[in-house]
Amino acid sequence: MKILIIEDEQELANNIATYLKEQNYQCELALNYHEAVLKIEIYEYDCILLDLMLPDGEGLQLLEILRNQSKQHGIIIISAKNTVEAKITGLQLGADDYLAKPFHLSELGARIFSVIRRNHFGSSNHIHLNELEIDLLAKTAKVKEHTVPLTKKEFDLLLFLIGNKNKTISKAALAEHLSGDMADMLDNYDFVYSHIKNLKKKLAEAGCNDYIKTTYGMGYKWES
Amino acid sequence: MNRLLNKTLVYYSFSAIIILLLSAPFIYYTLEKLYKDDVDEAILLRSDEFTRNNEPTLKITDIPTWNRFNRDTRILPDTVKSKPKNNIIQQVFLDTLVPEWEPYRVLYKDVSIQGKPFVLMIRLNLVESEDLIRTIVWIYLGILFVLLLVIFFITLFISNKLWYPFHDTLKKIEQFSIESNQMPAFKKTGIKEFNQLNKSLTKLIQQTLQSFDLQKVFIQNASHELQTPLAIFQSKLDLLMQDSHLQEQQLNIVHSLYESVSKLKRINKNLLLLAKIENNQFIETSSISIKEIIEEVIPYFSEQAIGKNITIHTELKNNLTIQCNKTLIEILIHNLFLNAVRHNILNGSIYINTENNRFTIINSGINAPLDTSIIFERFKKGSKNPKSTGLGLAIVKEICIRNGWQIDYKFKNGMHCFILVF
Repeated sequence: MKILIIEDEQELANNIATYLKEQNYQCELALNYHEAVLKIEIYEYDCILLDLMLPDGEGLQLLEILRNQSKQHGIIIISAKNTVEAKITGLQLGADDYLAKPFHLSELGARIFSVIRRNHFGSSNHIHLNELEIDLLAKTAKVKEHTVPLTKKEFDLLLFLIGNKNKTISKAALAEHLSGDMADMLDNYDFVYSHIKNLKKKLAEAGCNDYIKTTYGMGYKWES
Repeated sequence: MNRLLNKTLVYYSFSAIIILLLSAPFIYYTLEKLYKDDVDEAILLRSDEFTRNNEPTLKITDIPTWNRFNRDTRILPDTVKSKPKNNIIQQVFLDTLVPEWEPYRVLYKDVSIQGKPFVLMIRLNLVESEDLIRTIVWIYLGILFVLLLVIFFITLFISNKLWYPFHDTLKKIEQFSIESNQMPAFKKTGIKEFNQLNKSLTKLIQQTLQSFDLQKVFIQNASHELQTPLAIFQSKLDLLMQDSHLQEQQLNIVHSLYESVSKLKRINKNLLLLAKIENNQFIETSSISIKEIIEEVIPYFSEQAIGKNITIHTELKNNLTIQCNKTLIEILIHNLFLNAVRHNILNGSIYINTENNRFTIINSGINAPLDTSIIFERFKKGSKNPKSTGLGLAIVKEICIRNGWQIDYKFKNGMHCFILVF
């Protein structure tokens, strides 16, 4: 899977690349508009991360170029602008997702995972992980043909963990992922623990191996 | 507090009374003197008439008859020695009819009738000084009354007409609020002082608005500029966390760094939010049901409340619906809710109810009232809770100001109570 990171802040771009490379993504960087145009025209990518706030507002132009191409890439906007209007504009211009800075790398990982899944697998979108089978459209999980009765939050949590396989995900990132718009205000992440506990219990009851590991004090990891 | 009108009235009335009082004796003496002079003149005239017309022809035998018919010009025997002659003096005589002592101007003069010496007495009755004073007092009271009446109406007129631009300006300044960013438009007047006042006020308000704008822009820019370094910081930590060689001690450090960056992000987001609210960036309004919002967020806050084993009681008496921006009302209720959870105690409780146009959230907490003068101020924390950004209630207040709502805090029966009136 190839990912292009268009971001003028090199430090951030490098961090993203480092994180994603460990996830077995191939990452390329474009630090300005011209580099980006060049790469977009020559290569094919599975997902493009685009910082809309490039100098001179070139991010929007790039979005237009990308939209006019008939390539099968997902676009995720990463922007310092965190308003509903900016999100709507970005999505209307053809982006698949919108992530406001600052974000958790795990959140980005989960978003890339789902954008790529959506683009590549269309209608029959199933993920197989050893004995676990996940239907992304129906939002159900099965273990050996037995449906695991997950709540919406538990399912979200499962996807988030799988989207960041073998990565430690901080409790804060999980909490913010689960609470959406409310995240900015929450300061107590204890509820994450109870959701994880329930998820582990339900998976175990369905006969699934325990892939969810606790990293000391920090967060959780899906190891497989 | 005295009104300007009343003050002016008092000053005018005092001056009028004092001037009238001071002038009264002067008027009295002038009038008296004028009157006496006039009476004296008349006496002298009569004396001359007598010398010219009567003295040569009068006989001694006529004297009793003369005296009988002339009360005030009498011929007395030459035995009146004690009286000064040829000078008009003042003397009192008993009026036998009333009876009363009356003041008179009197002239005694030596005359000779048929060669024999006699004394001629000419007298004229004066008005009693009591009567004179009384009359003057009455006139003065009349003048005073009319004067005060005139002063009152003139002052009223001046206050209403002349001071109109002043009152107009005053009213506009009173209505002015820096948050509205609306420059008050002062009326142009023909009076130099008022124009000067309006000009100075306009300048002052412009400068205030300008620095207020600058401050808002600064906050917004600052928090915007902080986003990128924060994003880098956050991503570095995310990467560091993946290192499987980290020891427990190092993980502890990473963990505390993580908490700090989370708090930084929260403060920054809240500051940005405040700036956006101040810049009126939430303009779209729709009809919002408070009940729906509360029911929507209760699951989230119930999760937050589990740790402290807090019980949440809701009593939504009516389906309160208001016209406002959805994002803002959500933020408002979230903040109040979060506040109630964050500052709660173990096994505490939260009561939420709506009644008429009132939303109340009551929570247990420390057993002492919060300082109402600062709880809605930025970065003024009522508690030592390290998670608190000190901006939550400031945002609540700001949203209330924007929408013209009333937010109050009360401490009752050991419970902290926030009352929001729409």
